[in-house]
Amino acid sequence: MSSEIIADKKLVKFKWNDQVIEAPEGENLLQAALDNGIEVAHYCYHKGLPIAGVCRMCMVEQTPGPPRPFPSCNAIVAPEIAVRSDTPAVLEAVEWTLQFHLVNHPLDCPVCDQAGECGLQDYYMQHGQYNSAMEDQKVHKKKVQDIGRGVMLDAERCILCTRCTRFTEYVTGTYELGIVGRGDHAEITVHKELENDYAGNLVDICPVGALTSKDFRFKQRVWFLEDVATTCIGCETGCAVNISQNEVGVYRVLPKYDHEVNGHWICDDGRSIYKHVSGAGRLIGPLENKSNLFIPITESATANSLRGNSQKFILSASLTNEDYANFFSAFKGEKDHVALYRLPSMGKEFDGILKRSDKNANTRGAREAFAKAGMDHSETGLQDFLDNLNAQDVIYLVVPEIIYDEDHFMTLLKKINKAGKKVALTTTDNLQALDAFDYLLPLPTFLEKDGHLKNFQNRDRKLSAGRSYGASNRDIAFYANWLN
Amino acid sequence: MTQDASSANYKDYTLLSYHHISDVHKLDIFSKAGGYETMKKCFAMGPETIKEEVKGSGLRGRGGAGFPTGVKWGFFSKDRTQKKYLVCNADESEPGTFKDRYLVEKCPHLLIEGMIISAWALGVDKGYIYIRGEFYHQAKILEEAIQEAYSAGYLGHNICGQDFKFDLYVHRGAGAYICGEETGLLSSLEGKKGQPKLKPPFPAIKGYRGYPTMINNVESLAAIPWIMRFGAPAYKKWGTEKSAGTKLFSISGDVKKPGVIEVPLGIPLREIIEDYCGGVKGGNLKAVIPGGSSAPILTAAESMLATMDYEDIAARGSMLGSGAIIVLNDTRSMGEVLKWTLEFYHHESCGQCTPCREGTGWLDKIFKRAENGHGQASDIDLLDKVAANMRGRTICALADAAAMPTQGMIKAFRGELLTFIEGQGQEERGRKR
Repeated sequence: MSSEIIADKKLVKFKWNDQVIEAPEGENLLQAALDNGIEVAHYCYHKGLPIAGVCRMCMVEQTPGPPRPFPSCNAIVAPEIAVRSDTPAVLEAVEWTLQFHLVNHPLDCPVCDQAGECGLQDYYMQHGQYNSAMEDQKVHKKKVQDIGRGVMLDAERCILCTRCTRFTEYVTGTYELGIVGRGDHAEITVHKELENDYAGNLVDICPVGALTSKDFRFKQRVWFLEDVATTCIGCETGCAVNISQNEVGVYRVLPKYDHEVNGHWICDDGRSIYKHVSGAGRLIGPLENKSNLFIPITESATANSLRGNSQKFILSASLTNEDYANFFSAFKGEKDHVALYRLPSMGKEFDGILKRSDKNANTRGAREAFAKAGMDHSETGLQDFLDNLNAQDVIYLVVPEIIYDEDHFMTLLKKINKAGKKVALTTTDNLQALDAFDYLLPLPTFLEKDGHLKNFQNRDRKLSAGRSYGASNRDIAFYANWLN
Repeated sequence: MTQDASSANYKDYTLLSYHHISDVHKLDIFSKAGGYETMKKCFAMGPETIKEEVKGSGLRGRGGAGFPTGVKWGFFSKDRTQKKYLVCNADESEPGTFKDRYLVEKCPHLLIEGMIISAWALGVDKGYIYIRGEFYHQAKILEEAIQEAYSAGYLGHNICGQDFKFDLYVHRGAGAYICGEETGLLSSLEGKKGQPKLKPPFPAIKGYRGYPTMINNVESLAAIPWIMRFGAPAYKKWGTEKSAGTKLFSISGDVKKPGVIEVPLGIPLREIIEDYCGGVKGGNLKAVIPGGSSAPILTAAESMLATMDYEDIAARGSMLGSGAIIVLNDTRSMGEVLKWTLEFYHHESCGQCTPCREGTGWLDKIFKRAENGHGQASDIDLLDKVAANMRGRTICALADAAAMPTQGMIKAFRGELLTFIEGQGQEERGRKR
C-alpha cells in the first residue's frame, strides 16, 4: 500500500546506529529499518494497517530531531538523519516498556499456543528485565472466549496493541472488535460475533497469544513446523501462502506477503485448503469399489480391468500448467475424448478484498493448454463430450481438490453414468460423491508438486512441493496413456 | 454584589472585569457594560493585525501547558477558504481546578466574544465548546448565551453586516479526564472513544475530522477581548517578562477563603495564601500543590519563596499548570494525598499507551498493597523508578501527570511516605494478631 505511493520517490541514505541504509524519502522510518533487515522491537505497528503508536516499543533517538526517544513508527525517512536505537535512553525505554507490557500478562507460555512465535517472548530475550519488579496482584480479564469464525480470545494475554481492531475497522470494515474499559482494565471484545471472511488474519496479526485459531491451537508446537511457500488453490486470486507442516501432517495455512496479489492477507476459505493433504481419507493407492466398499487393489489389476475400451478424460481447472502440458503430450486419444470441468462461480465476482467468484485456481492456464492442444475447453464442449459417452467408454474424472458446491459436482456425476467404467483421479476418498466410481486412482495434492498456475491477473503463481503424504507419485500425465 | 451594569472593572481585571455585575450572563447587561464592542472593532481590523496583537501580548495557553497562544495560532492554516475549526476546551477536569467553570457560569458572553474574535482572526466558520460533562448547569448557561448571541446577530451568517459566518455549538463531554487533553477531546468530539491521537500531525494541521483545528482553553479565549481592546502593551504591563498578563487561580484546601481569584502572574504564592485567601486554616502550612494534582508538590519553605509565574514554578521543579493551588496544612498525610492522586490517574488512564496503562495501575497497586499490610521500604524506590519510566514515553501527558506528583512527593516527603507505607502495614499486621 505505502510502497506503491512512494515507488517513484527517490532513495535517500541515512544512518541507523552505525550502519548507513537506504530507503525511499518519506517512507515510514520503522518500515525502512525492517526492510533493511534491522531488528526493531514492535507490537502495534503493522505494514498493512494504519499507525497506532501505542505499544511504545520501537523507540529511537534521532539527530536532528526531538530531544527524547520517540516511536520510529510515527516518523519518516529523511536524507542525512542519524537514527540510534542503541542509546542508553532508548534501551531503558524499551526495557521498561516491555516490563510494563508484562505487568498484567499471565505469563502462561507453557500452555499458550503462541509460544515460539510470540512477540513478548522474542523481545524478552533481548530486552527483558530478568528480575521482574512486579509483585502485585495482576488484573484478571476474560479468557477462552469463542468470538466466532474459529477465533479464540484470551483478554488477559492481550497487550492492547489494537492491530485486530484496526483490521476490522480498516481492512474488512466490519467493526466487530473494539476495546471496552479504560486503563489497565481495558480489554478487547466483540459486540457481535466475527462475521467477516478474513477473521483468520486476526490470529496472524496478533503479536501475542490473545487471539488464537480454534483450528490450529493445541495441535502442534510451532517449533516443530516447517513452512512451505506456495500458492493457495482456493480461487483464481492465487494468494501467496506459507503452509506449515512436518512429518506427521499439515497444520495450517498462513498468508505470505505478496505486494502484487494478496498483500498481507488471505481469506478464511484459503485457510482450510490443507485439510485433505494429510487428513483422513488421503488416497495413497488405487481402490476398487465393491458394493460401495472401497478395497485396495494393485495398479496392474486396475489397468487390466480397464483395458480394451476408449479412455476419456474430464480434467479439472485447478491443475498446474505443467500438468496440462505433460498430459496433452502423453495423451494419444481422440481430440474429443478430453473435456474440462470448471467449478461453478460462487458469490460476488470480487468481494473487494481478495475473494473471487471463480473457484478454479487455474482457469486461464487450463484454457490456454486446451487451446494449444487443439482441444475444446468450453462448457458446450463438455456437454457434447457427456452426450457422446457410451457403455464402451472408460471415463476418468479428475476430482477437484477443493469442492465448495458438492451438489453441482453430483449433477456432473449423474451425467457420466452412461460410461461403462468410471474412474476418479483424486487425492482423497473422503467424499460421498466418490461412491459413484468403480475405481479411485491417486494423484498428488497441490502441496506435493511443483508447478505454476495463472491467476486472474494472468500472473504466474508458483506451487512448491513440500513433504509427500501419499505413497504414489502418479500424476495425470501418467494416466493419459497408461494402458498402452 | 449588585452593581450597575456600566461599572465593568478594567483597571484591576481582564478576565473578571464583568464578574461583579449581577446577571451579566445576560446579553443586554453584558452589552451595556461594554461587551461585544471589542468584537465589532475587530471586524474593522485585518485578521493578521489581531493575530499579531495576540502574539505580542505574550498570552500563554491557560489550559496547563502554557504554550504561547499567538505562536500556536501561527501554525494554523491561513487559507480562509479551507474548512477549519475552532474548539474551546472547557473540559476542566484537573483536580483542584475550577476557574473555567467560574468564567463560563458568570460571564459566558466574554468567552463567546473571545471565540468570535478568534474565529474572525483565524478564518474559521465553525466552533465547538467542549464542556466537561459534569458542568450541566454551565452548559445550559452557555447554550442560552449562544442563543442570545444568535438573536443579536453576533453568531450565524453575516455577523454585524460582515461577510463572515461563524456557528458555535456546545458539546458536553461524558466525564473523562483524558478528554481535556486536546486530541483526546477531538476523538471524543468526533464520536469516538476519548483517546489522544498520535502527534505529529498536530491538530492545527490535522485535527477535528482531519481538518485544521485550533484548540484553546476557556481562559485563553476569554482573555482575547481585553487584549484587543486595550492592546498588547497594556496586557504585558502585568506579569513577568515570560509570563505576561493576569491569570485565574483556583485555590482550595486548607485556606480560610478558598475560591477563584484573578491576579497578575508573578505574584508571590505567599501573598495569594495570606492576603487573598485569609491564611492557612486548621494548622500550619505544610505543602502546596501549585498547579493542579499533576504538579509536583512544593514544601512550605518552597511555597513561601515561590512566585506564581511559569518560570519560577518550573525552576522549583513543579509547574504552574492550570493554576489550581491546593493548600495543605500540617494535619494532612502525604501518603493519603499521593494515594488519592494515584487512584485518580489509574482510573483516568485511557489505556492506549502501555507505559501509562500499566504504570498508573501499578503505582496505585503498590499503595493499595501497603494499605493491606504488605508495604515495604523498597516500595518507595520502586514507585520512583516506575514513575520515572512512565515519563515522556506516551502519546499524551497523562503518564507524566501521574508520574510527576509521585516523584515530587518522594523528593519532598520521602520520610513521611516511608512511615506511611510501613506504618500502614504494621497497623494492619497488628490487627491481624
